[in-house]
Amino acid sequence: MTPAPLSWTDTSARPLTGRDDVPSSDVAVRVRQLVKRHKDGTEANRGIDLDVRRGEVFVLLGANGAGKTTFLRQLTMELRPTSGQIEIFGRDATTHRARVKRMMGVVPQDAGLFESLTVLEHLQWFARLKGLAKCQARCAAVETMEELGLVAETRKQVGALSGGQRRRVLVGLALLGRPPLLLLDEPTTGLDPASRRAVWTALNRAVHEGATVVLSTHHIDEAERSSDRIGIFSHGRLITSGTATDLLGRLRKAYRLSYRDPFDPTGSARIELFETAADAFARITRRRLCEYSIDHASLEDVYFDLTGERFPAADSEEVRR
Amino acid sequence: MKRRLNEIACVFRIHLARLRVEAGPFLLAAIAFPAGMYLFAAAIGDVGSAGIADTDHRLRFLSASVVFSLSLTAISWLGYLLLENRFTGRLKLFATLPLAPSSYVLGILIFALAQAAIGTSSLLVVARVLGVRTGLMTPVGLLVLAALVVLAMLAVSGVAVIVAARARSFSEGSLLTDALGAGLVLLAPIYYPPEAAPRALRVFAGMLPTTYAARGVQVTLTGGTHVARELLVLALMAAVTLTVAFRVMRLSEE
Repeated sequence: MTPAPLSWTDTSARPLTGRDDVPSSDVAVRVRQLVKRHKDGTEANRGIDLDVRRGEVFVLLGANGAGKTTFLRQLTMELRPTSGQIEIFGRDATTHRARVKRMMGVVPQDAGLFESLTVLEHLQWFARLKGLAKCQARCAAVETMEELGLVAETRKQVGALSGGQRRRVLVGLALLGRPPLLLLDEPTTGLDPASRRAVWTALNRAVHEGATVVLSTHHIDEAERSSDRIGIFSHGRLITSGTATDLLGRLRKAYRLSYRDPFDPTGSARIELFETAADAFARITRRRLCEYSIDHASLEDVYFDLTGERFPAADSEEVRR
Repeated sequence: MKRRLNEIACVFRIHLARLRVEAGPFLLAAIAFPAGMYLFAAAIGDVGSAGIADTDHRLRFLSASVVFSLSLTAISWLGYLLLENRFTGRLKLFATLPLAPSSYVLGILIFALAQAAIGTSSLLVVARVLGVRTGLMTPVGLLVLAALVVLAMLAVSGVAVIVAARARSFSEGSLLTDALGAGLVLLAPIYYPPEAAPRALRVFAGMLPTTYAARGVQVTLTGGTHVARELLVLALMAAVTLTVAFRVMRLSEE
């Protein structure tokens, strides 16, 4: 008999979870006053509060070392919190670890694969470890390979795959079993545009069918395009969260001026933000700029404004004469 | 229970697949080095010359080589594998699953036991080719030998798990497992008679599982089955090391 296909929301078909394992709460992830203090005293996360709603795509942005990975590792219970509370679908994650883990698909940031296993073997064995029956595991593996464009690599050992293909295998492992919550730490890092598209198509399909996604990325464009809400991390704190429009609305200086300093024509382009277009034009006149561009501020500007990080040098091609 | 067995079987099969590409180093550790040690010991032990109990010597060296093989497989090889899983991020794949740490350890221990069975059987075949005649003929003798191999393997595997779980870096862990894999054999009076060792070393050797394993294996290879004491001591040592191993093994971090 062919077992019923798994779905991202229907837990009755989930082999290792009971029918009541995912309570009807509207909140998929609830975090309260989450703190992670390492043995040397450094605080990687400082009092984080966050609610992620069911079916939402929540993207974490932040510089390297801002605390995103620590936060995700605490959600996946790979790292024990120093204090605070994590609830996944209404269940305390620290006291119901196994049950909660059954509801998750995870891509850890620096996970390794078994070089001598083929792509199919990886997906099949890990599907079995997630509790899928033998035939379900096979079907899930094939379906995942098709979804992520890995069919040509089915029988290839992972040791022979490119970095991008390995990353897709890791994403595939997370998708196996259609868990209602996907926690992905930089799932698209190192991927070429086609692979990124394949990953996002698979994630969007999961979300469309009811999955909740929390992921971290360094691609601000990806966050803007694909998220329902964005959280910005800085120095271990979640400094703000909201939709891309919300975040843009919070930026007081809504105009971005990129220019090349006329007294330093070979130097890199500079960026400044202004409250009004008139202010930006005033600056252009005052500094006698002849190589410049004005645009509406972007999510990238919000990010740099909120985190206090320095603007990177703008690409000279963007600067119009 | 069924779920747990499935987890253990999956971990075992995942690691078994490694042998496809890593059979060479495994054969070196489990067969080639121990067989080489047998030939070396037989050569410097002057086996075959007049006046020496030839069979006794050969069986002593063979049982020592079986234990050497077990030690290399259980500590050096297994330890390396566990360290590799931990420090190359493979452990994270298991850590994010609803998998009990004990299932992970048991799956790997069964893999190590399978390797031990292959190594020991191959060594006995090699010894036969080299002209060693053992008294291992009866099913009871074979069963006793199997029990000794399993218990010895578990006792030393526990050490590998502890080192791999506690090591602060890959190099620190692999240095320790390599040193222990060879050290537990060389410090125990198994290639030489106990009376040839200094008194302090004899006392220390009395605490090593390899000492009891070699003694038990030698008795069974000569056709004896009276190894209750060796079995008991090895069972106790296995219980202690595995209890500690299961306690220190964590899939998540503090």
